[in-house]
Amino acid sequence: MASYYDIDDILVEEEIVSVIFQKAASGVGIDPSSETDFIEAGSKVELPFWLAHELQLRQAVSVNVPPCFNQKTRLEIQADCACVDLRSRCPYFYEFGCKIAPIVGDRTIGFLLLSAFKNRYKEVLTKAHTATIAVGSKFWTILTKEEINLYETAQSAMASFKKWRMGGARFQIASILGRKRKPTE
Amino acid sequence: MSCSGGCHLMCSPVKILNMYGRKACQLVKEFASGEKGQLTPFNNDLFEQVVSECSQHHLELQSLIRKMQEEGLDVQTARNADHYGALIHLFSIVRNKRCLTAYVYNRAETVRNLLWKIGPVLPKEIEEKLNHWEEEYFKKHSAALKSYMSKALVDLTVDMVPPKDPYIQVRVLEDIREGIVLSDDKNPNFARHSMHFLKRTDAEKYISRGLMEELTG
Repeated sequence: MASYYDIDDILVEEEIVSVIFQKAASGVGIDPSSETDFIEAGSKVELPFWLAHELQLRQAVSVNVPPCFNQKTRLEIQADCACVDLRSRCPYFYEFGCKIAPIVGDRTIGFLLLSAFKNRYKEVLTKAHTATIAVGSKFWTILTKEEINLYETAQSAMASFKKWRMGGARFQIASILGRKRKPTE
Repeated sequence: MSCSGGCHLMCSPVKILNMYGRKACQLVKEFASGEKGQLTPFNNDLFEQVVSECSQHHLELQSLIRKMQEEGLDVQTARNADHYGALIHLFSIVRNKRCLTAYVYNRAETVRNLLWKIGPVLPKEIEEKLNHWEEEYFKKHSAALKSYMSKALVDLTVDMVPPKDPYIQVRVLEDIREGIVLSDDKNPNFARHSMHFLKRTDAEKYISRGLMEELTG
């Protein structure tokens, strides 16, 4: 269970899902162009996950499987996992998958996430240790937020290891200041 | 949102109810877009907008509840359209609250870290990013730490790793004129490019502020 204040967790729950209202709801502004403020039962509405989840717990809506877990994406992941651009499909592919799976009641999402992660994990770590920044930056546009965290952790682990081995100044300018030193002389 | 891609075909048009909580999420995104440990300027404007959005939800929630009461329904048990409308407003308030508190909470954590990394005097470009309450918080946190350290008789802000040599060689990167406090009560001239042999604990704060660098080897 993520912390209440967890920034990533908040952003995961902002992902849009499409739901079908089982009950009618009144007094809600559907969208600015709409004249009515009433949602009839049976209408299809797009909601952020946090709202859909709470309404689903009260049997007011049923949630559809989001497009990032549809058959097309699954086939692509099976074909060449490491090259699929998951970020454009959903920047929090894994976290969102974990949250959505019990709600839509689709047991296969779990296997999809696991196989996607297993295959991509290896690639992320190898690239993090070997790729130069230029190549790496192109590669990491297809990574999800979770994979980028892994990538950065792997790189900083490598940097720490090198620093430990080679030695160097103990003290450095606090990273928050981030100012480049003016060239002297 | 990329997930709302239009690959599903259906006869009835899709309604979109994703305006609620949108601004609050923007606020959180703004925090997340900064580098780790870095602050973006406090977005007072957006913050206020989210707060007033909450009040708006509250008004609409109240009016729906009132409507149910006027119809003679039991608000606790009735499950009509007004009930679900009210629920949507309630969850929007709860969501906005989570985003607002997360924004403040995570910034506060960064502000506390500033004290440990840079010391009690903040450079101007960072101080500008704090809002009034955060400045106050920083000052109080720094006063609390200072009074604790003076009671415990230990300086907690120095490096955690014991030094091999209590003295280090440093070079001054920028002229330092004011507020030079050294443990041996000397008053050296920290002119730019000058080199000094200082006690490690004295030099640390200048190095972390980017005013000196350690010379090794």
